[in-house]
Amino acid sequence: MELNEILALAMFFAFILLVFTGFPVAWILAGLAILFTCIAIIVDIDLGLFTGVDWLYTSITVDRVWNVMENWVMVALPMFIFMGLLLDRSGIASELMTSFAKLFRRVSGGLAISVTLIGVLLAATTGIIGASVVLLALLGLPVMLKQGYAPMLASGTVCAVGTLGILIPPSIMLVLMADRMAMPVGDLFLGAVFPGLLLGSLYVLYIVVLGLVKPDLAPKLADEGTFDFRELQRLVLAILPPAALILGVLGSIFFGIATPTEAAGVGAFGALLLALWKRKLTLPVFKEVLEETTKTTAFIFAILIGATAFSLVLRGLGGDELIERTLLNLPFGPTGVVITILFCTFLLGFFLDWIELTLIILPLVSPVVVALGFDPIWFTVLFAVCLQTSFLTPPVGFAIFYLKGSAPPDLQATTIYKGVSPFIVLQLIGLALIFYFASLVTWLPAQAY
Amino acid sequence: MDLPNTWLSRIVDPVLTRIAQGVSVLWVILMAVIVINVTARYLFDQGRIEFEELQWHLYSMGFMLTIGYTLVRDAHIRVDVFHERMPHRARLWVDFYGLLIFVVPFCLVMIWYGWDFFIYSFNIGEISASPGGLPFRWFIKAFLVIGFALLLLAALSRLSRLYAGLFIRGT
Repeated sequence: MELNEILALAMFFAFILLVFTGFPVAWILAGLAILFTCIAIIVDIDLGLFTGVDWLYTSITVDRVWNVMENWVMVALPMFIFMGLLLDRSGIASELMTSFAKLFRRVSGGLAISVTLIGVLLAATTGIIGASVVLLALLGLPVMLKQGYAPMLASGTVCAVGTLGILIPPSIMLVLMADRMAMPVGDLFLGAVFPGLLLGSLYVLYIVVLGLVKPDLAPKLADEGTFDFRELQRLVLAILPPAALILGVLGSIFFGIATPTEAAGVGAFGALLLALWKRKLTLPVFKEVLEETTKTTAFIFAILIGATAFSLVLRGLGGDELIERTLLNLPFGPTGVVITILFCTFLLGFFLDWIELTLIILPLVSPVVVALGFDPIWFTVLFAVCLQTSFLTPPVGFAIFYLKGSAPPDLQATTIYKGVSPFIVLQLIGLALIFYFASLVTWLPAQAY
Repeated sequence: MDLPNTWLSRIVDPVLTRIAQGVSVLWVILMAVIVINVTARYLFDQGRIEFEELQWHLYSMGFMLTIGYTLVRDAHIRVDVFHERMPHRARLWVDFYGLLIFVVPFCLVMIWYGWDFFIYSFNIGEISASPGGLPFRWFIKAFLVIGFALLLLAALSRLSRLYAGLFIRGT
């Protein structure tokens, strides 16, 4: 192995190690880029070994940051964040939750099913994982526990459903992925629709079966009045506007009426009108939403900038070719290579967040997958499902942390882990289905425009 | 983490906070520009290049101006599995060395080369390459340098607060 490849490996492992110090990820990435540029120059001068990385090379980061700045597609990101936060903080999402719960309370496991359905809908609106897990934990979890649900099932449902947010479009993760893969955001959005719905259906199926086999785990509500016309009306009124908003955003992308950027801006505007119409928007809430939009956007772009610098230096040291050679030399054949990549991503997901995996790993492995002749959208969606699953896997499952942070204190971590396990199995089943039935991904984008 | 304020942070932090409040308004303007552009295209069949360029101008100003503010508010993403269990002083040390070794040099490199990038554009009087695009391309390129300068200020401000928290008692 060449010296600069050893440096590339050292750089990568330094990143994984330093992440655990708890220093912000964005700056670890950026700092390592600078540090390893220094090391490369020292090696170059003192040992006389050509590394190909010097300050002039690393300064290309400036051009890359500029490319991000003038990237019109990425304008969608702050707008989707704004839209999600607006629906979340203005209480429109919680109104949805209560209406759905009323509809399904007479079914065994009905509450868990309504949490799932609401989660799928929320997923489409927020796309920010923390937001949807916290919301479901605050709204859904206490209701389920009060109705005598097994804490395991209740917490598992909340965690798993909350993670759908980053998979079901419009999702900020998919915007970033499409950018890194240089593919149209619209195509990736459409490709992820059926896989997201498939996973949601698997959850519902699991809950229904569990409710039939062991009704005491997910009891239905004993009495509680009748379901009359007025309640139905209230339900429709609660569901219809946000549902219309999401379908409007996705539909306008699907029919080519608007670009994702425009759909995001108009969607944000729609969410604003909706909040105003429902008289849910006070000035303090609005200010808070804008402030959160600023911070969320800033930390994502900070990581994007850090990852840009990091990837640049890693590539300069020959890290790309190293990965490519290693992957292509695997004795498994093309399908085996894809499975290996997904498995490694799944493992890395135990420690790393979706942003780092999207920005660093995806660009490293995607050229290999594309060179092997696989459909890039299909692969990206599989990668996305892998990342979504990584939120559920201990020890570093962020959904579990978010839940632990917002759930009643007597809920044990072990209960959550046990509750999440069946959902991890469901995720793997979903992943396998998408793997073998590629048309789940490829069909919808082919119909569009 | 509670940290004492210093003379530097008393100057820098409020300035960055004011800028971030301005950016809040920027997001609303951005939304309005998108809605107006879409409406104009469908009602009057007239999408305008300058409006599309205005969108990414606003968006890039938005995030470049607030990365530093996000550092001041300590809102950058950390993997805090172990971080949470570390003793208070250890966490301060991690941040102190991290900012000093990673953030400050990175900002300096970006400002150094970003300045060349900006000044080149300024000297040739660069404008948008598309017909009907916005003039003064150097104006928006300046925000690349400004963004990293603000980040550097934010890092120095926080470094001074960490230093005070680590070494000065009773503040």
